[in-house]
Amino acid sequence: MGSISLTIDGRTVEVEEGKTVLQAAREAGITIPTICDHKDLNPYGSCRMCVVEIDGVRGYPTSCTTPAVQGMQVTTTSERLTTLRNRTLELMFSGHPNSCLVCPHREACEKYRPKATKAARSTRCGFCANREECDLRTMALKGGSRDLYLPTLYASYNLERDDPFMDRDYNLCVLCGRCSRICEKIHGKPAISIINRGKWARIGTAFHKSHVHSGCTFCGACIDICPTGTLTDRFARWQGKPEAEVPSTCIICSEGCSVIAQSKGGQSMANIMTGFNPEASLCALGRFGYAQIVNSSQRLLHPLVREGEDHIPSDWEGAIQAAIEGLQVCVGATALVISATTTREDRFLYTQLAEHLQATLLILPAEAANDDPQIREMVGAVQQGKIRGLLTNGDFLSADLLRAANFSLVIDCLPSTTTSLASIVLPAAVLSETGGTFRTAVGTVKQMAASSRAPGDARPEWQILCDLGQALGSAAFDFSRIEAVTPLVSDDPAPAAIDGDPRQNVRELIPRFRGHLLADIVPALAAFGLPATEVAAVEAVTGAGFAILEKREIVPNMHFFKIRAPQVAKFAQPGQFVILMARETSERSPFTLVDWNGPEGWITVVIEEVGRSSRELASLKAGERIAHVSGPLGLPFPIEKKGTVLLGGGCYGIGAIFPLARALRQAGNRVICTIEASSAYLLFFEEEFRAVSDQLILATKDGSRGVWGGVQEVLAQVAQEETLDQFIAIGCTFMMRMVCEASRPLGIPTFVALNPIMVDGTGMCGACRVSVGDQTRFACIDGPIFDGHSVDWDELALRRSAYAREEVQALSQTVDLSALIYKPESDSCGCGRK
Amino acid sequence: MIQMPVQNKNNLEHILAEYGRERDNLIPLLQEVQEHLQYLSPEAIRLVADHLDLSENDVYGVATFYTQFRFIPPGLHHVRVCQGTACHVRGSDMILDAISRTTGIEPGETSEDGKFSLERVACFGSCALAPVVVLDDKVYGRMTAAKTKKIIEDKK
Repeated sequence: MGSISLTIDGRTVEVEEGKTVLQAAREAGITIPTICDHKDLNPYGSCRMCVVEIDGVRGYPTSCTTPAVQGMQVTTTSERLTTLRNRTLELMFSGHPNSCLVCPHREACEKYRPKATKAARSTRCGFCANREECDLRTMALKGGSRDLYLPTLYASYNLERDDPFMDRDYNLCVLCGRCSRICEKIHGKPAISIINRGKWARIGTAFHKSHVHSGCTFCGACIDICPTGTLTDRFARWQGKPEAEVPSTCIICSEGCSVIAQSKGGQSMANIMTGFNPEASLCALGRFGYAQIVNSSQRLLHPLVREGEDHIPSDWEGAIQAAIEGLQVCVGATALVISATTTREDRFLYTQLAEHLQATLLILPAEAANDDPQIREMVGAVQQGKIRGLLTNGDFLSADLLRAANFSLVIDCLPSTTTSLASIVLPAAVLSETGGTFRTAVGTVKQMAASSRAPGDARPEWQILCDLGQALGSAAFDFSRIEAVTPLVSDDPAPAAIDGDPRQNVRELIPRFRGHLLADIVPALAAFGLPATEVAAVEAVTGAGFAILEKREIVPNMHFFKIRAPQVAKFAQPGQFVILMARETSERSPFTLVDWNGPEGWITVVIEEVGRSSRELASLKAGERIAHVSGPLGLPFPIEKKGTVLLGGGCYGIGAIFPLARALRQAGNRVICTIEASSAYLLFFEEEFRAVSDQLILATKDGSRGVWGGVQEVLAQVAQEETLDQFIAIGCTFMMRMVCEASRPLGIPTFVALNPIMVDGTGMCGACRVSVGDQTRFACIDGPIFDGHSVDWDELALRRSAYAREEVQALSQTVDLSALIYKPESDSCGCGRK
Repeated sequence: MIQMPVQNKNNLEHILAEYGRERDNLIPLLQEVQEHLQYLSPEAIRLVADHLDLSENDVYGVATFYTQFRFIPPGLHHVRVCQGTACHVRGSDMILDAISRTTGIEPGETSEDGKFSLERVACFGSCALAPVVVLDDKVYGRMTAAKTKKIIEDKK
């Protein structure tokens, strides 16, 4: 094809014929903003951000769909185009939560809260897992206008988590179609499509089936191409932007797919495809399961040496010494049972070790179980005492086999029956924790990269084998780097191909990893029919606990509960809180009492869904029971006649200031209440507050209702008009800190309800320790309400974020398998009702 | 004895056979299937998708774009209420409301006993007769809430 020349912004640009105006501009280094465009997708022209002016062409054509023509005169930047693009962006933002962009406190908030809050549904940037990588946000903050005149029409879709690996929040979707287009490109028949029309248009599946049944293969391409936070990997969702992306190889099965390993802080986050094309496709295990195996909370961390009935944690030196003592006794009568889920180097060293020990070496295919024919053949030899020593790197040896052997050594990453009966257990670094090479079923040798840190004392197998070999006195194990082993490996056979193609059909995933059932490690895999070890169900105690009389999601993420708890209701006073546990196994979490009725025996609370415990509570329905309600806890707030009192509540704090407002007014005060939310649709309890206050002032961070800003702006306004004798603020730590800074120079006595991490709530554990003035206080028994001007906010923020990583890890483990059961439409009469 | 042919509603073979496997046939095919079944069932969507070698999700996406396609079976009596400009200014809202209250269903639904289904339509082109209600293809003009209630009650 020939080349053509055109003029873009006064510059002559030479491009190959057939290129679009957008491509021509990019080649010339001219940036045109885009959302729906992606280098690996065909032009689509839906977002209208890439509009340009072309001489002689009417209107403003989209540069992504306009072919470049010889002699074309293109303008990419003009006042008119900027206005058009800003209006387009504004239209997109009218359906995409945006309050953080126009919030007057954005800079301070982002500095103070560098990580987004783990909300269920995203209602703003600060509640969005994709904040660091959002194309829309970047565009708005970069050049675009931040003046948004159109109201936000929050779609209020439920967070969709009816598949094992994705959290899908269509409240953030701008319908760029990148996800369904990449799905079609990679799989031919897409598992998702744009359904419905007009304002009901959205990405979905036929008849709203779960992705488990819509033909989705869980390659994750849609997540990786989504420009917003709509589609996220549930496991990695709240971990933030990956710090490193390294090309590597997945060795879970003999396919040995090439991957890009993403990690952060030495922790594996996910494997993504090496490119957006069908050849680079990954299976659900390679894409999603991998990081969950590596990060499993069950990982073996320390070498274990058997002493009688017990496994005693040991250092490596001691464990290696014990291991060679065991192996030396069994020379000539040992079998090595090794999973093929290892690097070529590891297998080479296992072979060397087998030779040194004059042992039998069995290499098992990746999907092998403990009934593999090779193992069955060996049983006789063990029973006859011909084989006395066993060495394995997975869950392959039955209890009988292990009991029949004199000595057994397991080098593995996860606990199993095999490890529980072994003489010695050595923890291995696996998958993304080790380098080396892998030969795939088609014979290609691929490079692996160590992209994450092994947990505890775990070491790569090659290193363990070298330590063993050297301790056994062999000279053939003198390696300090895995790269030194690689050149010695040659003529290793290609492993057999697996049955089926899990990249095309998620139900053909291999069921095991080193003999362990994968669904035991990644429970959500059971949704694809992968077998798991049956665990005896914990019997629910019926009739126990506290009945939920009423439960509503009053605004997105904010759940109102009315609970039957007569003893709490009888003694409750304003300012006190309760500790709730959704289930017997849940964490204890504190919530301020909103209302109560002693004679009727009920209490109410407002719970914001921002983590595991609150999600467990939020998933309960009216009629169900909360396992535990302890309270009333904390000191009641002294209700006195002060004169004029201002109460400010934000988010869950809106509920918390309600009983204080009512009591203070009953005590004869003039009560002014102000409630803040990031946008108008997130305000609640307006009517309730009008009934208990002399004046109610609304505030929103995007100015969509009431005062533009928050409680601090209202405080400044009110303080100019009248004298305030008392000020109480309840909300997130950031909000309380900001309002205290605002009230300090005004000299208004200020009280805040602190929210540190709390465990027992009775002053025993000290987790809720806070510094107020020069004193150390416990929020649970000395508070929760303290003098806001004396609080050490930095310490509070630090202590609150102490378990940030664990909180994120706890989230991804909760998968409701019952939600995955597909209910065919034919079960209903077809009338569209339940 | 003469064997009566078994009419299987879900058997769409005869319809599918009339159409080639080109993607262009999607909408005419969906229209004919709907004419046959009165609605598009999940099974019908699947068969159409298979016939044209498309994804069910795409077929559903196309079908849900057009208001002419329905995904739940209509009732024995199908009620359509015009919501066009002329009908709107002459109170079609109240008519729709009256039908909802009489039948217990909202637009787009079919009553549990399968007797009625309700649909809102943008315009029938009979603006002179506004407000218009169409019950089982019979046009009723200059309707009131009371008159509409009566024609519904008569079909109960």
